[in-house]
Amino acid sequence: MATLEINDLHARVAEEDGERILRGVDLTVESGDIHALMGPNGSGKSTLAKVIAGHPAYEVTGGEVLLHLDEEDVADIDAEIDDEDYHWELLELEPNERAALGIFLGFQYPAEIEGVTMTNFLRQALNAKADEREELFEEEEEAEADADDEDDGYDTSPMEGPADDGEIGVAEFQEILSEKMELLDMDEKFMQRYLNAGFSGGEKKQNEVLQAAMLEPAVAVLDEIDSGLDIDRLQDVSKGINALRDEQGTGVLQITHYQRILDYVEPDHVHVMLDGEVVKSGGAELAEKLEDKGYDWVREDAFEAA
Amino acid sequence: MSTQAIESLSEDTVRRIAEERDEPEWLLETRLNALSALETAELPDVIQTPGRRWTDLEALDFESLVDPLNQSDTTERSVGDDEVVVLPFTEAFDEYGDVIEANFGSVLDPEHNYLTALSVALFTTGTFVYVPEGVDVEDVTVRAEMNSRSLFSQTLVVAEESSSVTILESIEPGDGEVDGDRYFSNLVEIAAGENASVQFGSLQNLDDETYTYSLKRADVGVYGTVDWIESNFGSKLTRSDVESELNGDGAESQIVGTFFGTEDQHFDINARVWHQAEHTTADLVTRGVLDDVARSVYEGVQDVGNDAWNTSSYQRENTLMLSDDAEADASPKLIINNHDTEASHSATVGQVDAEDLFYLESRSIDSHTARNMLVEGFFVPVLEEIAVDEFRDDVEELVFERLQ
Repeated sequence: MATLEINDLHARVAEEDGERILRGVDLTVESGDIHALMGPNGSGKSTLAKVIAGHPAYEVTGGEVLLHLDEEDVADIDAEIDDEDYHWELLELEPNERAALGIFLGFQYPAEIEGVTMTNFLRQALNAKADEREELFEEEEEAEADADDEDDGYDTSPMEGPADDGEIGVAEFQEILSEKMELLDMDEKFMQRYLNAGFSGGEKKQNEVLQAAMLEPAVAVLDEIDSGLDIDRLQDVSKGINALRDEQGTGVLQITHYQRILDYVEPDHVHVMLDGEVVKSGGAELAEKLEDKGYDWVREDAFEAA
Repeated sequence: MSTQAIESLSEDTVRRIAEERDEPEWLLETRLNALSALETAELPDVIQTPGRRWTDLEALDFESLVDPLNQSDTTERSVGDDEVVVLPFTEAFDEYGDVIEANFGSVLDPEHNYLTALSVALFTTGTFVYVPEGVDVEDVTVRAEMNSRSLFSQTLVVAEESSSVTILESIEPGDGEVDGDRYFSNLVEIAAGENASVQFGSLQNLDDETYTYSLKRADVGVYGTVDWIESNFGSKLTRSDVESELNGDGAESQIVGTFFGTEDQHFDINARVWHQAEHTTADLVTRGVLDDVARSVYEGVQDVGNDAWNTSSYQRENTLMLSDDAEADASPKLIINNHDTEASHSATVGQVDAEDLFYLESRSIDSHTARNMLVEGFFVPVLEEIAVDEFRDDVEELVFERLQ
């Protein structure tokens, strides 16, 4: 059972006189729950997603982003676990460390990466996650000892796939992958294609959910995963998101403009963001009200309250 | 401008080289002519941008670099099939003297410039490849090691009608104990007859005290194909020119280039094609990576002649910079004298994309590994053009070594 806890988060564009975008975000997402984060364009939803994941284009100017874990979340770790290993300040960690601890960002516009096949990328990611977790949880003295006799770490070519099978064997990898792809109704031919290169908008979104399914995050932040999807693909993607929660107990923070996906992925909580803050939270009925009435009434409520 | 005379060079030197190799009289004449051409020959043109001459060949101190009588190499030649002839010239004169005489210098004029003339006057190694009519051979390899201060190599490939051959050459440093700067010169000419197909891969990985000059040129006949793969990883300074003359109707050529520079390596990479007949096709694809303070300059030329009706000609060059201190210049040139032409040309110089990097990092991959994946991925489109597995593996391995 993991909890992502965001307290009074402030962030701006990381350049001189960069625009302030997040102005005190408070939000908590527990594993197993589905949260919808809605709000008009420019309210800061995507920025929040990127700041959680550690995007270098934003500078955090205040607040904290905490990840709390329990025994279940560290069951794969061999090293001895201290109390402090259950609580992490994500803002102090590199993006890949945050990912290894269980944060997943589903991109609104996933990068197209030429020359790196899906298979090699996914195996590299799975192995990197396992390695990084070992490092994060091991004691400092052990880490130093390791660093001394460590090779460069990158001893296999991603073009060929890892030569040593690392943590995940080929057969096991293929099995997990086939299962997840079937769930998402993805063709196995995807795996020989280059990462998102030439993928349609819908295929890219399916691929984001596939990656989440493979990496089994504690909390998945999905940024407009439903935009640009036709109804069939929307259903496939929704099935994938529900499976993240139902089968892996992932907490989902789903950023969306549309009520439509919420018919398939029913949220436990709905939040509304305006001007860089979460100004209103409620249950699934809040999303319906937003669909009917827009955001003006939320703004008025928030304004009156303030 | 003329280059300095090299005092250690004389007719006697050239005669001694020819004598030791028991060469026919015509070749000695060719060498002596090349030697006297040195007096007037110019160094190859280099790219100039305002205030800057990118590759300073004039700064090369040939007096100390050139040691003609102490050239030494270890070269292994292997042939997949005994229908093809793959021999050092010295062993080929008796039986194939006429073929050699008819073709030597016919594609690549020995007096083309100062460096080609120097090379022809002094070469002591190299290979003669003769593929008779209709013969189809896949695995000719020539693996050479350079053991001396200077080494001049000359290769001639004669592919007769409807023959097909794949040749891989590599040059690496050998055991020769030479301190200081070295000079390697490599001339390759290919005469590809009607409907002949030649794939020529070259891999240069000399040490960082070596200056390398290489000029490779093909004459492609009717329906002939010459595909080049030019990979440069080593040397302090590399000047490489790969050129195809599409002289027969329906002739084709592809020039694939890769380079990877680290520290203060300098690459001057040139790919050129002349469309001189109808229905000819050319495809120039080069990708290079620069790290540290390495520099590269690229020139690609597609020259479509008056009579080159229905030409297809494509050129792309991309340089990826891994360091803020690396420098690159690229100039793709398209000269069209016949407008029945479909052509494209482009060149880019860029850095690793920050969004791509973040995407991989957000999947647990650390930034160093992520960057390396992107660099290897960057080379994949050119690697995919390499049909020979062995060669592709070699190039991948060298890319990989530099990424450690």
